[in-house]
Amino acid sequence: MRRLLPLFCFILPLFALSGDELFRERIEPVLSRDCQGCHGSVQALSKLAVSSRAALLQGGARGPALLPGQPDQSLLLHVLEGRNGLQMPPGGPRQKLPPETIAAFREWIAAGAPWPARATEAKWTYKDEDLWAFRPVRPFDPGKTIDSFLPSPAPRADRRTLIRRVTFDLTGLPPTPEEVNTFLADKSPQAWNKLIDRLLASPHYGERYGRHWLDVVRYADTSGYSNDFERPNAWRYRDYVIRSLNQDKPYDQFIREQVAGDELYPGNPEARIATGFLRAGPWEHTAMSVEAVTRQLFLDDVAHHTVSTFLGLTLGCAKCHDHKFDPIPTKDYYRVQAVFASTEFARPKLPFLPTENTTGLAAGAAHLQALYDRTLARMKEFRQNHPDSEEHEEFKLYRKHAQLYQDSLHRFAPLAFAVSSGPLDGQTDGGPTLKYPPLAGYRPAPVHILPGGNIQSPAEAVTPGVLSVLERVGGYPAAGIPDRVAGRRSAFAQWIADPRNPLTARVIVNRLWQAHFGEGIAGDPSNFGKMGKKPTNPALLDWLAGALVHHGWRLKAIHRLILQSTAYQSTNFTPRRLEAEALRDSLLAVSGELNREAGGPGVFPQINEDVARQPQHRMGSLAPPYTPSPLRRQRNRRTIYTFQQRSLPDPLVEVFNGPTLDLACERREASTVPTQAFGLLNSQFANDLALAMAARLEKEAPTLRTRLERAFALAFSRPPQPAELTAATRHFRRMLAYHQTNPPPAKPQPRPLVHKITSELTGQTSEFLQAPDPAPYEANLHPSAVGPATRALSDVTLMLLNANEFVYVY
Amino acid sequence: MSTNLSRRELLFGGGMGLGTVALSALLAEQASAGPLTPKAPHHPAKAKHCIFLLMEGGPSHIDTFDPKPKLDQLHMTRFAKERNKFEANMNTGERYYVKSPFTFRRAGKMGIEINSLLENFSDVVDDCCFYRGLKGDSVNHPTALYHLNTGNQFGGDPALGAWASYGLGTVNQNLPSFLVLPDVAYPQGGAANWSNGFLPAYYQGTPLRPEGAPILDMAPPPGMTAPRQAANLAFWKELNGFHRARRADHAELDARLESYELAFRMQAEMPGVVDLEKESPATRAMYGIGGPDKDADALGRRCLLARRLVEKGVRFVQVIAMGWDSHDYIDKAHGSRLRAIDKPVSALLKDLKRTGLLEDTLVVWAGEFGRSPDNGIRRGSTAWGRDHNANAMTVWLAGGGVKAGAIVGATDEVGGMAVETVHPLRDFHVTLLHLLGLDDARLRYLHAGREKQLSQVGGQVIRPVLA
Repeated sequence: MRRLLPLFCFILPLFALSGDELFRERIEPVLSRDCQGCHGSVQALSKLAVSSRAALLQGGARGPALLPGQPDQSLLLHVLEGRNGLQMPPGGPRQKLPPETIAAFREWIAAGAPWPARATEAKWTYKDEDLWAFRPVRPFDPGKTIDSFLPSPAPRADRRTLIRRVTFDLTGLPPTPEEVNTFLADKSPQAWNKLIDRLLASPHYGERYGRHWLDVVRYADTSGYSNDFERPNAWRYRDYVIRSLNQDKPYDQFIREQVAGDELYPGNPEARIATGFLRAGPWEHTAMSVEAVTRQLFLDDVAHHTVSTFLGLTLGCAKCHDHKFDPIPTKDYYRVQAVFASTEFARPKLPFLPTENTTGLAAGAAHLQALYDRTLARMKEFRQNHPDSEEHEEFKLYRKHAQLYQDSLHRFAPLAFAVSSGPLDGQTDGGPTLKYPPLAGYRPAPVHILPGGNIQSPAEAVTPGVLSVLERVGGYPAAGIPDRVAGRRSAFAQWIADPRNPLTARVIVNRLWQAHFGEGIAGDPSNFGKMGKKPTNPALLDWLAGALVHHGWRLKAIHRLILQSTAYQSTNFTPRRLEAEALRDSLLAVSGELNREAGGPGVFPQINEDVARQPQHRMGSLAPPYTPSPLRRQRNRRTIYTFQQRSLPDPLVEVFNGPTLDLACERREASTVPTQAFGLLNSQFANDLALAMAARLEKEAPTLRTRLERAFALAFSRPPQPAELTAATRHFRRMLAYHQTNPPPAKPQPRPLVHKITSELTGQTSEFLQAPDPAPYEANLHPSAVGPATRALSDVTLMLLNANEFVYVY
Repeated sequence: MSTNLSRRELLFGGGMGLGTVALSALLAEQASAGPLTPKAPHHPAKAKHCIFLLMEGGPSHIDTFDPKPKLDQLHMTRFAKERNKFEANMNTGERYYVKSPFTFRRAGKMGIEINSLLENFSDVVDDCCFYRGLKGDSVNHPTALYHLNTGNQFGGDPALGAWASYGLGTVNQNLPSFLVLPDVAYPQGGAANWSNGFLPAYYQGTPLRPEGAPILDMAPPPGMTAPRQAANLAFWKELNGFHRARRADHAELDARLESYELAFRMQAEMPGVVDLEKESPATRAMYGIGGPDKDADALGRRCLLARRLVEKGVRFVQVIAMGWDSHDYIDKAHGSRLRAIDKPVSALLKDLKRTGLLEDTLVVWAGEFGRSPDNGIRRGSTAWGRDHNANAMTVWLAGGGVKAGAIVGATDEVGGMAVETVHPLRDFHVTLLHLLGLDDARLRYLHAGREKQLSQVGGQVIRPVLA
């Protein structure tokens, strides 16, 4: 056998595995997937079962299947190799297992065919390098710098590149030409630090890094699945995140508030809002759902996501079996789940804080109330004319709209999307159909280990606890978690937010490093386990983790350390395409249309009209159509403030690799696909903004030359080169000639929207006209309202906004 | 305005910027290594393309392809199903059996029974393999749809078409590899049903919309005429040329240039592809296009388009037909659905056969679950419908590699439960990939440190459905 080693070891490192590991990782999955369908405990063809070592030793009709230590004498290997005319799995050479799998079987039998018991406590051993994240963080040396951990970098990038790089990085927006000029003119040695300080103090910093955080959290304003019900108060959590980052709230406190703010800071409304974190995932309960399953799904979700967000481990893998790769036994999974067993949904009354944006609430509520009242009136009228109103799709449509409007009205009410330990007195919030547990005599449901994740066959009961590996491997003492209704999450949050926890600080500084450089020091920021990429520079990662604790868990301190490093300022910086939100925000900023207002309920931007008009099914009927906010300044807010509907993402955001809102996104993709060209070149939004930018240039600069110079300064943070100016001038002249002979298109008339509903009862399709929104719509600037010169200039600006230089940051 | 411009007109209309020849050479080089370049299958397989006919809402096997005469005897027999904390409210309480209001006809050489409303379909029964042993996990529409389409009940994983595109690439580089032909409204759970999930975005399902522009923003807005756009793009290329010269080491810039190229090849090719007027009146009539049944007309257009797309080399087409969720009055509700699919679906199979495409195309017909033999008493009355049932359903396959004219598996005597050749949904996925030449166990993608695959945990091929 040993002679095969050199052949295979470079393909699969499995030969370095112990016999037990080999069994768990390479043998057992194959037996259960490829063999036990026919040779299992249910049916055992040829009287052979492969479900236990004893069964293999005993064998079937053809005698013993396994002779430990003697692969060449073992029938099991014969059939896998297809020797003696007998092959398994059956079906000819095509069905043969891959050679590396057969080699694994050979190795396993040669090693004595160990078959470790399926334990709920992991007993197998791990390679040391796979356990790095559980070991204590190296002691912090304040005398070092980031650069002392890195090879000497490439030369420093030029100042224009740097201000563009750092402004996008910290705010998600391009620097204004004035900001660029100020930085270029500042010859003091403190210029860079002043720039960093200004940007970190900008309210846009929290919006930018808040977006990174919300990616991991899977933030949305709706619940997903078939009804995609609104979460009308979720926006307060979004703004909490932005506020916390802007205030440079210590990260350990940020953790405690989100995991257990209600318990730890009962008098602090901010901390209650923070617990919206625990409910961020998609969730639905309908008449077709099983209540016990719905609850179990929530517990699975909250346990897994709390651990992967803060500790960077894939806890969910341990749900059905001991984690295959990391030392997380199934028992730990359910102990962590028990931490949340007393966590109930809550929507407490919580007055708005002075730091929250409440300016648009009254107007927003009045607008929705008008829609609601109008719908109620139609229902009433319909009922009077149709005694059998319940059977009419038209009536059901009104009723559905009324129900959804009524729910949306909560957006403007002082309520929090939150949790509590045990039901909150007098408060319920489960969405429309989930009944809430009674307050009197409330006891959290006991948590059992569910072998195979099967809710119908609970095994051993467990008490709340933490991940045992941190104590076993790293010596970080496990926290005692009380078994009472209250206090479970507090203890768990404290255990996470502790400087001795080796994962917590490492995970967050790695996320920050990734945000700055595009790639983390450890390449899988939510998986610090064996299968995650190992840190390329573990000492640096630890130094940053130590620095975070040293600086009182303040993230801005880490930003400063990173930004002040020569590594960050070097010419050797991986170019990055703007993320979808940064791209949309930049389009708005450069065209002069961006409304920089912060906070408040989600706004409804201009999106592709075909998508906006698309019918949206809600159980039993259709939702009201997507309606863009009536005022331009409302539509043109930063993307983070747009209403995040899981079932209806902004197609422009989606096409530029916006993440699906159902999954945690640890890192944005930036693949280039042709539909992006359609979105940026052909969309009404991009064309409208190009025209707005042309009008802005005409207002801000007097001549063609200065307008073009300003356009380059806005879009690329630099003046045009002579050849570029010539090309742009030539293009403008050419298009001016075109527009002087080609009239603009006519202003579009509003198109009526018709709901088409196919009845589930009869299969008949009927059509109803949607009454237009009562609020007058403030249209964007239209080509017919401007002259040929402005239209020609918009042909130049549209191409600047499509240029590679606009979408890439260097 | 016409969108039928040659790419030369569009991209090189201004005659400025990089030379045509040099750029084309560059693009050709890129294309040879692109993520959608055709790849060899894991094993030889007949099927090269797949058309997946998704019947959203849960078609009743009992009223379509799996008749249950026993229900005639039990009709209106009432019984109580105990409340059980592991059952949905909908499926418990006072219930009654419901016989099928439909008659069945025997069709094909084997005399396979199908609903009598499927007049045209009886001609193609011998091409189909009806599989009655499949079991799902969820009786909730969106989770069951996600499960069927992506292998995972929770939205966000890559769809079957994305996996197939990832595994096989695609033939026509001017069109997306994975196209979805939805109804005007999207199915429950929306676009996550054709998501690329954690796979790169090249593999995402692109919906071709039945109204408006087939692909979002494919057509420029009003006023952006072809000559205007051509002039703009010439300037765009010039701008990018200046930039490229300064960023010699930034290879992604060429990829972005290429993506604009591809966008315009698509813009040029797509209108011709979706133009059904190019088909003969007889062909269109065969699909039910222009006929009195509006739903058949709409579905007929999508089915005919599916054939045209496969012909053009698209790897995976998903056609969605909505409205199978018949809780009440199944005679009317399912009746209208059956009339709507009869011509389009039968014509698709006949047409694929006629053109020889059926040989290398896998056709799948499936809903997210089957329906129950019994119904609940709602608002105190009975309305002869059926609830959701993940324990029994009928799906059928046709085309390359499929055992034609066969029934595989069986349900119990009332159709409540699959009892023969029973397989979970993941085995169905493994089987579909197998038919396309892909091995689920090898078709993996490393995401966030975990090797992921369509079946999630592995599965086995349902061999009896194979030819």
